[in-house]
Amino acid sequence: MADVSLRHVGKTYENARATTIEDLSLDIRSGEFVVLVGPSGCGKSTMLRMIAGLEELSDGQIWIGERRVDELEPRERNIAMVFQNYALYPHMTVAQNMSFGLRLAGMARPEIRRRVEEAAEVLDIAGLLDRRPKQLSGGQRQRVAMGRAMVRDPAVFLFDEPLSNLDAKLRGQMRAEIRRLHKRLKATTVYVTHDQMEAMTLADRVVILHGGRIEQQGTPQELYERPATRFVAGFIGSPTMNFLPAEIVMTDAGPALKLGEATVPAPVAKAEALAERVGQTVEIGVRPEHFLADGDPSFSVVVDMAELLGPTTLVHFTLAGVACSAMLPPERAAGEGERQGVSIVSAWIAIFDPATGRAL
Amino acid sequence: MKTHPLRRTLFVALVILLILCCFLAPYAWIVASSFKNQLTLFNDVTPLSWKAFLPVGGTVENYRTLFERTNVLTALLNTAIVAGGQVALTLLLCAMAAYSLTRVRFPGAKIVFVLILLTFLLPIEALMVPLYQVVSGLGLSNTLLGVMIPWIASPFGLFLLKQAFEDLPSELEDAARIDGAGHVRIFFSIILPNVKVPMLTLGLITFLFSWNSFLWPLVIVQDPAKQLIQVAIAQQGSPTQLPNWGETFAGATVATLPLILLFLLLQKYFTQGMTTSGIKG
Repeated sequence: MADVSLRHVGKTYENARATTIEDLSLDIRSGEFVVLVGPSGCGKSTMLRMIAGLEELSDGQIWIGERRVDELEPRERNIAMVFQNYALYPHMTVAQNMSFGLRLAGMARPEIRRRVEEAAEVLDIAGLLDRRPKQLSGGQRQRVAMGRAMVRDPAVFLFDEPLSNLDAKLRGQMRAEIRRLHKRLKATTVYVTHDQMEAMTLADRVVILHGGRIEQQGTPQELYERPATRFVAGFIGSPTMNFLPAEIVMTDAGPALKLGEATVPAPVAKAEALAERVGQTVEIGVRPEHFLADGDPSFSVVVDMAELLGPTTLVHFTLAGVACSAMLPPERAAGEGERQGVSIVSAWIAIFDPATGRAL
Repeated sequence: MKTHPLRRTLFVALVILLILCCFLAPYAWIVASSFKNQLTLFNDVTPLSWKAFLPVGGTVENYRTLFERTNVLTALLNTAIVAGGQVALTLLLCAMAAYSLTRVRFPGAKIVFVLILLTFLLPIEALMVPLYQVVSGLGLSNTLLGVMIPWIASPFGLFLLKQAFEDLPSELEDAARIDGAGHVRIFFSIILPNVKVPMLTLGLITFLFSWNSFLWPLVIVQDPAKQLIQVAIAQQGSPTQLPNWGETFAGATVATLPLILLFLLLQKYFTQGMTTSGIKG
C-alpha cells in the first residue's frame, strides 16, 4: 500500500486531436479506492497509463509512496494493472500468465506456486490453472487478469475499464468481486471507467474528468447531491438530471424559481446567493426522483411516455418547453396522453449559472 | 428449375477434378518421363497418349546415371544448407525489423518502412551486377554464405510480419512491460510465440524461393562442389550434346521431392498464413 500523488502533471501530444492534460494534481491516500470517470477522450486512461509508466509525462511529477516514479520503468514502480481486454498472454496457461512477472523477477519457484495458488483460491479459478485464455469465458479471463495483478502484491492496483467487455449481469457480479477484493487486500486502487454507475458503486472517491482536467472530486454521495458544475450534474445519476430554465423572483417567503407559469420555492441553502440575482435567468437541475406525484402539485403536465421499471415508473413529459423525466411510484403515475400532477422537492434543486455552468 | 443435389455435387467434383488434372499433369509427366529413355519419352508425347503420364516400361537408368555421373547429392546438401540458413536468418532479421517498425516509436519509422518496401519493386535481374560487386567485395563470392546473404533482408517478409505484429493488441506488450519484461524479452517471449503462423508462412515461402533460385547461384558460385540443385540439374549435360531429357526430368523430380514433402507437412500453416495475412497468391 502506498500514497499516489500526481503533481502538476501535463501531457501534450504532437497530434492535436488527442487529449491534452494540463496541470493536473491529485492525491490518492494509501488504501483508497479512487475511480477516474469521464466521457471518452477526457484523459482518464492517459492518466492511468502515466501512473503505470506506459505513457510519458510532458510536465509534472508522479510519486508513489516516498519515491518519485515518473522516470522509472513500469516494472520499477511496484504497480499492477488490469486491462480492458485483459491482455492475457494467449500462448501461456493461466498459471504461466499469473506467474510470468514473478519469474522475471527471479522469485523462487515454491514462492511463485504459493502465490499463484493463493490468488487462484481467492478468485475461484483454482481449477483453471492449466487452461489457456482462449478456453476461458469473459468472466474467467477477468479473474485471471486480476489474479495476475494480485500475485505481484503491488503497492498500487490500476484498473483500465476492466468490466466494459462483460455483459450486464456479469458486470454486476464482478463489481461486487472487485469491491470485496479491495476490502480484503486494502491496496491503493485507481480505477478508470466511463460508466458512472460503476464509479458510484465502487469508489471511496470519484474523480470526474472532463477535457483533460478534474471537473470535481468527492465521495459518490457528495457528487450526486452537490454537483459543482452542470457537466457533473448531467454525468452522474441515471436517468440523467433534468435541466430547465428558470427566472429568479422574490416572493414574500424569499427567493423563488419561476418555471413557466408556476413558481417553486428556492432551496433554503441558496436563498442568499439567489437574492442577489433576482430577475436573472438560471438553469436549474432536478433529478428524476425529485419530482413528486403526491401532495399539492405545482405543475400539471401531459405524459408523453410512461416506462414501468418495476419499483418505479419513468414518466416522460414536457415542462417549461423542455423534455423531462420523473421517477414516480407506479400507482401514482398517469398513462400516456393523460395529465399528471407533479411537484419538485425544492431542497434538492441544483442551480447553475447558465454562462459558466458552475453551481451557485 | 431446381438442380438435384447429387447431380450438383457430381458436377462440382468433376470441375475440381479437371482443374486438378491441369495442375498435376505437368508434374505427372515429369515424374513419368524420368523413368523412360529418350526414345519412349517422345513416342508417348507425339501423338499424345495416356502413357505420357505413367511410367510405362519404366527404367531407373536415368536416376542411376544422375547419381553416378553428377554431384546431385552434394548439390542437394548445399541447397538444404543455403535454404535452411536463409530461412533462419530471414525470420530473425525480418521479425526484428517488423517489431521495431511496429512497436518501437522513433521518428521517420514510416519513411523507413516505405523505403524498404520500395526495394520490393526492383526486379532481381536489375540487382545482379551491383549485388555481385557487393558480395564479391565482401569476399563471399563462391561461398554458400554469399548465395544466401543478399536475400535475408526480405521486404516481403518484413511486410508480412509487420501486418501480423500490428494485429497483436498493444496491451500484451504493456502487460509484459508491467510484468518486468524489456524489449528483448517481449520480442522473444510474448510477440514471437503469438505470430507462429505468419512466421511459418514466411519460412516456407523463403525456403521455396531459396530452393528454386537459379540465376543468383549461377552467377555467384563457380565451384561445382558448391553448386546448388537447380544449377546442377541444368548443367548436368555436356554443352556440346543434346540434353538427355530423361536425366533432366529425374533431376527435376529429385529436386522437387523435398519441397513436396515440406509442403505436405506444413500446408495447414501455409494456407492459414496466406489467408490471415490477406496475401493471396
